[in-house]
Amino acid sequence: MNIKITGGRLYDPAQGLDGVQQDLFIKGDRIVSSLQKPDRVISAAGRVVVPGGIDLRGQVATYGLNFLRLWNGFPSLEDLGRLYAAAGYTHVHEPFLTLYTAGYVHRQLAAIPLVDTSASLVLNLRDLDNYLKSLDQLEEVAQTLKSLQEKTRSLDFRLLEPFVRYRQSFYSHRTLDTAKTLEALTRLAREFDLRFTLEASPEVLELPCPEPRAFHLAVLGRAVTDDRLLELALARLAEGVSADLGFESPIAATPLDGKPVKIDLGGYYPLDLNPAAGDLLPALRLALAHQGPGLAFSLGGPVRNPLKEFPPLFSWLCDRRARPLVDAQALPDREFSLMDWVWATRTLPAKILGLGDRGHLAPGARADVALFELPPEIPPASWAKYFGQCHTLLKAGETVIENYELVAPKTPKATYYRRRGAKEGPLLSEICQYRSIRPENLWVPEELGRAWVGLD
Amino acid sequence: MQETVQVEQQSLICTGCGCLCDDLDVTLAQGQLQEVANVCLWGLSRFFPTKRLHPKKERHRLLEPLSRLNGRLQEVPYTTALEQAAQILGQARRPLIYGLTNTGSWAQEAALQLARKIKARLEPADLAFKAPYYHSLRKHGLYWAPLEVIRDEADTVLFWGANPLHTCPRHLVRYSVFARGRYTERGVEDRQVAAVDLYQTEMAKFCQLLVQIEPGQELSLLQGIGAHLPGGSGVKPAVKGARKLAKFLSQAEFGVIFFGRGATYNQGLAVLDALGGLAARLGEKQTWALFPLSGDFNSQGLYHLLLNELGAPEAPDFGHEGGVLTSSTPVDFHEFDAILVLGADLFWFLPEDQALALQKRQVPVVSMSPFANRTTSCAQVVLPTALAGLEAAEVAYRMDGLPLVLKKLLPTALPADRDILLDLIQAM
Ligand code: SF4
Repeated sequence: MNIKITGGRLYDPAQGLDGVQQDLFIKGDRIVSSLQKPDRVISAAGRVVVPGGIDLRGQVATYGLNFLRLWNGFPSLEDLGRLYAAAGYTHVHEPFLTLYTAGYVHRQLAAIPLVDTSASLVLNLRDLDNYLKSLDQLEEVAQTLKSLQEKTRSLDFRLLEPFVRYRQSFYSHRTLDTAKTLEALTRLAREFDLRFTLEASPEVLELPCPEPRAFHLAVLGRAVTDDRLLELALARLAEGVSADLGFESPIAATPLDGKPVKIDLGGYYPLDLNPAAGDLLPALRLALAHQGPGLAFSLGGPVRNPLKEFPPLFSWLCDRRARPLVDAQALPDREFSLMDWVWATRTLPAKILGLGDRGHLAPGARADVALFELPPEIPPASWAKYFGQCHTLLKAGETVIENYELVAPKTPKATYYRRRGAKEGPLLSEICQYRSIRPENLWVPEELGRAWVGLD
Repeated sequence: MQETVQVEQQSLICTGCGCLCDDLDVTLAQGQLQEVANVCLWGLSRFFPTKRLHPKKERHRLLEPLSRLNGRLQEVPYTTALEQAAQILGQARRPLIYGLTNTGSWAQEAALQLARKIKARLEPADLAFKAPYYHSLRKHGLYWAPLEVIRDEADTVLFWGANPLHTCPRHLVRYSVFARGRYTERGVEDRQVAAVDLYQTEMAKFCQLLVQIEPGQELSLLQGIGAHLPGGSGVKPAVKGARKLAKFLSQAEFGVIFFGRGATYNQGLAVLDALGGLAARLGEKQTWALFPLSGDFNSQGLYHLLLNELGAPEAPDFGHEGGVLTSSTPVDFHEFDAILVLGADLFWFLPEDQALALQKRQVPVVSMSPFANRTTSCAQVVLPTALAGLEAAEVAYRMDGLPLVLKKLLPTALPADRDILLDLIQAM
């Protein structure tokens, strides 16, 4: 279908469109520069027009997350898809997929309707310890990582633990500290064109980062617990590292009363699905203090309801009066503009995930477009109400939400992964030899997901 | 000239139990299964028409739909059987869909769809076993590890009311006791193993400690263990073995309690509550997981689906005004006036008085099964099905919740469970 969206204010940092009133043309699933005869005209008068949202760290399909539903605090996958679409999102990226939970994660992702999905492969460096220690077989490591990425159908690499430690003292000779690990990862990045997402920690911030563009720091807000760490984080961002904020969720968590919900993915620490309520302010402080292009928006824990969780945070970013009073004085005196918001929730996440045709509205981009009712006279403090729910959402040119109603519940969706064409080497067999699942069953087959899109 | 027979080797996942062993090697020739390697006796009965653990006793494979006429089951065409089944379930005031723990996930999804459509209650066959476990998790929280991690790391393993040799035989060699994991390279030598049971079982051969108790002593034993853990009251335990078990458990770095149906036979709710409490208490100092040993091959898939879709690992009942209610209390058959059974042999498990009551009330039963069993012999309509993972592709979740794709290796004219369920939905 050919669509003309007329009368809206376009916000697209990639093109420098800062609320420019301009028509937008869609032909089929793409944005085009002009159109002779539109089949449909969508009036966007009084609305802002932005690219579809991309959740860079939407923890929605992690192995074990299903248990949270025991405590009634987690929506069904069907509902999650609808909530994301209603909030103007078209893509969700799950952060935690491991070698043997890949099938699980993909089956969960496939069951989330409406939004496209992808996932990070969490590396367990114990699989690579000796190779990283000696540094003389990095090519083999790089090939193996690329091969694993393709076989688990994941989009990027993530490290929860950028070190090697063992619970058993017997293996202490194989441990690797964070500095040495980062050195190896830097060389892998430099020599073999790899990029790594590190879950941020004070320890990671303390270390130098010789190859900033090789790293993305996830949940950085959680790591900046004091002024010195904030300075270090800002310095990393200034050097060119990208990061996401990892806000604590502003809505009450499940009624778990601090009960432990921990999932052991085979690392040194288990994954904590019910962490103690954290402080919202460090991430907010970081977001306001950083003036550059390096910070994307994200939540630090499982995403329960983007419609309720995201808008108050957007509001705090955009309006100083909406911020929580505690320590508000200590916050930098800055407010996000709509351009900052689009950058943090669309443009930068698309860049980080390597989704070149998303996150912007230039001709050639996929027609993922969200319209928010936001009259120009509304002060930023009230934006949350308007930002929360999109008026219209188009995904690949198809209208998914219209006048706040879901009109196309069967909109096609796909899971994105990276195709690498890497060869299998001996290290891959070594990694697989300890598994109780044969490699052919570890690798994610077609049937566990649906509509795969392999990116080269 | 001699005819050459095409022989083919394939790898196969066994659907004999929740272990879903994926290292079976099968030999196929002329569309027939010739040999299965690496399988246990229990699993063998999934592939050959023999009885569980008795490979010399034959089991009757169902090949034609059956319908009861004048008290006798007679062969009928598929469409006739389907129509009758649809009529029975469609006309029922309170239909029940029972079983499903031995069916693939696609079929489970279709069964849930059917339950919604006919406003039925959907009853997992092992609800009495699993509901107390989930109840315990709600109260005490959770430390969950997949079998991959348990195999690599667990140095202390306790079986409670569970004899894997009789429910999931290769569990011991693949995951829990003899398995050579990444950091348990010497297998059983790197682990200490104990069991609590009512009988002296074969487990005694390799368990360092087997505590035999009398029926009803579970809670006292658990109390005794608690009293002898560090920080406990130290009061003399009423049941023998508590002190030794407490010592055994506190030596762990990474421990796991596998419990079986035996844990839920007597005061299941209270026993699982106490086991959950014990795992949580031990977990304050070390790593401890509480893990149900699911005998049925896709029990985990069913609860996963129920959690995903309805937010509760319980029996959903769509027959109530104002929406779905879920229940953790096993079904009261008196309420129901038609039953669809698949992925379980209801009449095998049902106490005799309840089976008789159903027959007395002439509750019509529709049974879907690849093999003849007690339920098919009592059914009004029998729909034979293809074997999932051999004659039909499916997905199943291993007992640790990891999904595996089951392949179709052999041709068959029989429909898969899912196809029949979708046909039933269509026919309503
Ligand atoms: S242990 Fe279970 S899955 Fe493994 S071969 Fe035996 S019956 Fe099959």
